[in-house]
Amino acid sequence: MNKWFKSGKPYIWLTAGAVSVSLIAVLGLLALIAWRGLSFFWPAAIHEVEVQANDGSTRVIIGEVYDREEVPISRLQESGVTLEGFEGEMLERKLFKVGNREFVPLDFMWVMQPQIIRDETPQDLAVLERSKDGNFYGYVVDVLENGESVANSENLREVLFERIERAVEFNEKASDLQQGPIGAINYELNQLRLEARALDLEGQLTEAEQQRLAAEEQALNEQYKVLEKELFAYREAASRDSVVMRDMRGVDVTIPMYRVLDATFPNDMGVLSKVGHFFVQIGKFVSEDPREANTEGGVFPAIFGTVFMVLLMSVIVTPFGVIAAVYLHEYAGKNAITRLIRIAVINLAGVPSIVYGVFGLGFFVYMVGGTLDQIFYPEALPSPTFGTPGVMWSAITLAILTLPVVIVSTEEGLSRIPSTLREGSLALGATKAETLWRIILPMASPAIMTGLILAVARAAGEVAPLMLVGVVKSAPMLPVDGNFPYFHLDRKFMHLGFHIYDVGFQSPNVEAARPLVYATSFLLVTVIVGLNLTAIGVRNHLREKYRSLEH
Amino acid sequence: MISVTPNTSNVESLDLANLTPEQTALEIRNLNLHYGEAQALYDISMNIPKNRVTAFIGPSGCGKSTLLRCINRMNDLVEICRVKGEILLHDKNIYDKNVDVAELRRRVGMVFQRPNPFPKSIYENVVYGMRLQGVNDRRTLDEVVERSLKGAALWDEVKDRLNESAFGLSGGQQQRLVIARAIAIEPEVLLLDEPTSALDPISTLTIEELITELKEKYTVVIVTHNMQQAARVSDQTAFMYMGKLIEYADTNTLFTTPAQKQTEDYITGRYG
Repeated sequence: MNKWFKSGKPYIWLTAGAVSVSLIAVLGLLALIAWRGLSFFWPAAIHEVEVQANDGSTRVIIGEVYDREEVPISRLQESGVTLEGFEGEMLERKLFKVGNREFVPLDFMWVMQPQIIRDETPQDLAVLERSKDGNFYGYVVDVLENGESVANSENLREVLFERIERAVEFNEKASDLQQGPIGAINYELNQLRLEARALDLEGQLTEAEQQRLAAEEQALNEQYKVLEKELFAYREAASRDSVVMRDMRGVDVTIPMYRVLDATFPNDMGVLSKVGHFFVQIGKFVSEDPREANTEGGVFPAIFGTVFMVLLMSVIVTPFGVIAAVYLHEYAGKNAITRLIRIAVINLAGVPSIVYGVFGLGFFVYMVGGTLDQIFYPEALPSPTFGTPGVMWSAITLAILTLPVVIVSTEEGLSRIPSTLREGSLALGATKAETLWRIILPMASPAIMTGLILAVARAAGEVAPLMLVGVVKSAPMLPVDGNFPYFHLDRKFMHLGFHIYDVGFQSPNVEAARPLVYATSFLLVTVIVGLNLTAIGVRNHLREKYRSLEH
Repeated sequence: MISVTPNTSNVESLDLANLTPEQTALEIRNLNLHYGEAQALYDISMNIPKNRVTAFIGPSGCGKSTLLRCINRMNDLVEICRVKGEILLHDKNIYDKNVDVAELRRRVGMVFQRPNPFPKSIYENVVYGMRLQGVNDRRTLDEVVERSLKGAALWDEVKDRLNESAFGLSGGQQQRLVIARAIAIEPEVLLLDEPTSALDPISTLTIEELITELKEKYTVVIVTHNMQQAARVSDQTAFMYMGKLIEYADTNTLFTTPAQKQTEDYITGRYG
């Protein structure tokens, strides 16, 4: 035994074991959230079950099996459920997602397995994905155009898909119009208002200026009226058709087509079309705006906000970190004060992020932002422009949070450059600054990238400080759009991390939101991994380029 | 008794103590150097003649590299280093306050022990000094590259791959590249700090041949650990021991009839 210890083998087992445990933990985590998140997009079978209550009455439930669990009978009996004619200790119950939110009190229902007397998956059951009130489950009965039936039992599905496509197309046109030209006009009208206010504040709002502004406003309003007419035309066209559905109560319900986004018959789908549908759903999830208080729809604004904020932060933190590291390593005297500063910088990395959030709110948002508003945007006051949380302040706050990481790794990179190269450059008559610029910094660039990778990894996952300095549950506009000056750094933004928190814990419909929490988490991890892989790719390229001498 | 074959080149011997100004490249006057409390050089005085190869020899730690690095003020990089005394280049003390160190180093080039090419292409390595001086004209640079690489006997080996990384060259080629880089800016004096200590014998031979050619245009000062090398390439040799200049004479004289006992002991291999 003693010999075995001396051979060093236990340490190999110990170290390899530690690596394995870490690896399993990480992979397990990824696998769990990927499975839970992605299975949400898989078209689940819709069941039609008949449930017999204790008193003998029956009812029909149509929906997806959302969850199932084993519960001890004793617990059910304690909570007042009467169970008759059932032996055993445990009992299975299923959670059905029944949708049809406007017609049933709860769109999720628990059903005891023994009470189910019939369980079928008829091929004609359809799910309608709707822009409001969530999914609708039921049988398609008829398709109406202006209240008149246009389908028979032969071509029902064909007509339905065709009409949905048409309605979706008009809806898209309408929303493009709203977000594009109409949004631009609203933006310009607001700019005009601000211009008038600014002129007024300067006392230069002359008669002529007023007339000019009024004329411009008039012109914009006229443009708006034309667009508005177009918009209403689209909306009317979209609401021409409707679909009649029979729900689980056996009642025929007419649903206007402009609310319907998609219809699927999951019980009638082959594996191939299910796979296709799966990817289409994922595509929608990453490219669409959220609906229904974030519990449905996509997360595109959150992805965009996360990536945009992280890029903005990188642009801010890299030059600052590098410059600070260069001073600390190259110019600062090698004495106690420098060492103290270095220790302080390293310790900054240990400050809890919420503290940076508080600092960002107090210093950047209120002090700096408030001052900027008074100097540059007095016309918009009292409504703040930069004196309110926004994407720029978030980026700057996170830049400060990640500054130590960049400084430390840049310094490490600088100290790893062989002194012979410095001397070689100096011996050719280069000054210290020229040597830095031409030799040292390019050679340190892989280390700078390493710092940036660590900074991105930390910043992209940070949520707490952002809640104070710029993140919101739902941002009406992206921080980048087609209106001059294109980048609106004063705007608030959505963030995947905050989205997870919001959907998971602030949502009115917990059951509906749960898979979205996993899906969004998986997406957040993917986005961070994507950002990191890009940075790692750049770093490896630089490393190859500036590979130092192999002595 | 003497273990090395002295230089057979028929260079006329000079009166090293009394050189005419035309013959002098550098004059070192009472140079003392301290690293913190410890003194590394004691009162060195010597004249280094123009267009000749001067070798500094001596055992490890004798201060020969330190002395060499004084000539282009590379010791300025060492914070605790203090220098007293003078080194005159064209009758001007390089340790004067108003001397531009970068300008001095342009006139006194240096090649180090280990080849230290920059992580750039061969071409960019050679023109580095020119670019520092703001020369960016492609044709001028092309000429400089060809002239310098020919001067360093490297042109034929690399003329077809000037834009490849300098790291692809062998150690000996890298060292010649570094020499080409140094002579690209046409210095007056070229300092070589044990330039062959990291190289194989064949590369060493090439560099030694190169050194003999270089003295046509430049004053060469070489530090070497290798007495045979000093004997082969240099015209005069300075023997240093414990920070002191023990003997400085024509290479032939120093190796055949050393005046000092310590010199004799060293070149016969009793210590060092």
